[in-house]
Amino acid sequence: MDGELLSATFVELTDTLVVGFDVIDFLHVLTDRSAQLLNVSAAGLLLADPRGELRVVAASSEAARVLELFQLQSDQGPCLDCFRSGRPVAAADLAAEAARWPRFAPAAREAGFAAVQALPMRLREQVIGALNLFSADAGALAPADVRVGQALADVATISLLHERSMRHSDTLNEQLQTALNSRVIIEQAKGKLAERLGLDMDQAFSLLRDQARTSNRRLSDLARGFVDGSEPLTGLTVIKTRQRLPGDGLPRPQSPPG
Amino acid sequence: MTGSRPGRVWGLVAGEAARRGGRVSAADACAAAVAAVEVTGAWLIAARGAEAGHVMWVTDEVSELLAELQLTLGEGPGPDAWARGGPVLASDLGDSESARRWPVFAPAAGQAGAAAVFVFPLQVGAIRAGVMGLYRDRPGPLSGPELGDALVFADTATLLLLDAQNQAAGEAAPGSGPGGQPAGLAVHRAEIDQATGMLTEQLGVGIAEAFLRLRGYAYAHDQRLSDLARDIVARRLRLRPDPDPLEEGQA
Repeated sequence: MDGELLSATFVELTDTLVVGFDVIDFLHVLTDRSAQLLNVSAAGLLLADPRGELRVVAASSEAARVLELFQLQSDQGPCLDCFRSGRPVAAADLAAEAARWPRFAPAAREAGFAAVQALPMRLREQVIGALNLFSADAGALAPADVRVGQALADVATISLLHERSMRHSDTLNEQLQTALNSRVIIEQAKGKLAERLGLDMDQAFSLLRDQARTSNRRLSDLARGFVDGSEPLTGLTVIKTRQRLPGDGLPRPQSPPG
Repeated sequence: MTGSRPGRVWGLVAGEAARRGGRVSAADACAAAVAAVEVTGAWLIAARGAEAGHVMWVTDEVSELLAELQLTLGEGPGPDAWARGGPVLASDLGDSESARRWPVFAPAAGQAGAAAVFVFPLQVGAIRAGVMGLYRDRPGPLSGPELGDALVFADTATLLLLDAQNQAAGEAAPGSGPGGQPAGLAVHRAEIDQATGMLTEQLGVGIAEAFLRLRGYAYAHDQRLSDLARDIVARRLRLRPDPDPLEEGQA
């Protein structure tokens, strides 16, 4: 494991007091770094919405995001089990889990994942969400990696619940709702950009994120500007050739029917 | 059970409209919220884009004063919620945090009889319709279930307000069939948002109009919004910049 990256990540995950702190960016750091550090293929994150639903808030790849959504839609999977129990849930070989998750297990394998580890985002009795780690190869995560993954999730949870003021639970709820709406804006922006440039959603998201990084803007601000037209993003071009994985089921632009 | 919250909330909103003897409106969502969330009063501000907005509806004199005050001052939980794009939960207007954030509004609101104010932006991503404000004559946060209810009432008010704004602009409201639930109240799915974004390009319209057209198409074709959105995202279906949704072709 990359020790330097690990310490840098812990610093990032406790650095929530910075001006312009953005929950979405923060949680993307958690999913991206978890995937890198723990040598898993992808990571996804669900947070509890006070409306009574879980919501996908961040994912290190579109495949992981789709799979998290699939868990919510089919109301089954390791992330849900983990959230409901407040305990880690592991499946070292999804090929053997058809009985446990008859809908999730095949969907995950079709998406290219063979193993999954879910870790709760929990502080004492309060479970606010769950972090899902997806691996392309079968096999359990090393116990040391599970501990590091849980530590990352714990630090992120504590940072989010940190008493930044007396109104800390109000503050978290405000930020979470803002984040959930930012997520919606980002999806709207992905759709608009994907349609404009003939990309799939993953490519559109990468392009938006790269653009936010290079222009040093918050992704949610950039996305809002692009959707409401104040940010035309006319200079964007796709440098890489469009790549399609076999059977990824992702869309390809087509001319209108008839 | 939490899963039935949108259905329960919609029932309360529809019941409010039935009592009033009118078509279901955002004001009914607001009125039903007052009873269900156990707040003292509520107000509704309609706004679009960068406009300051206007007071659409209030439950009592205090609500009216709170709404007017914030629009006049440009200060308070309402303007903050609008600017931030997320709710502002001021559970004690008498605390130092409120005094610091809203030096004019907080004491004035307290004098008028409001001890806590909770404001919810009426929005779907970048689509914005206004804000819903709730106030209490006693301090204290909303409980978890109260907050959950308030958010779903705000979601409901959002769709109703968007429909009303489009009706005012001379377009048919797609969402609410007679006695039915507005489309889009289902669990929010990313495909719906992605499809809405795609439609802005396909139809050459703004995001609010794209959402309206998406819901209108689903309603006209008796399709579930999430199924329709999935077809659009998978590029199995394109909508044409055609004013009549019934004329549009299906792949």
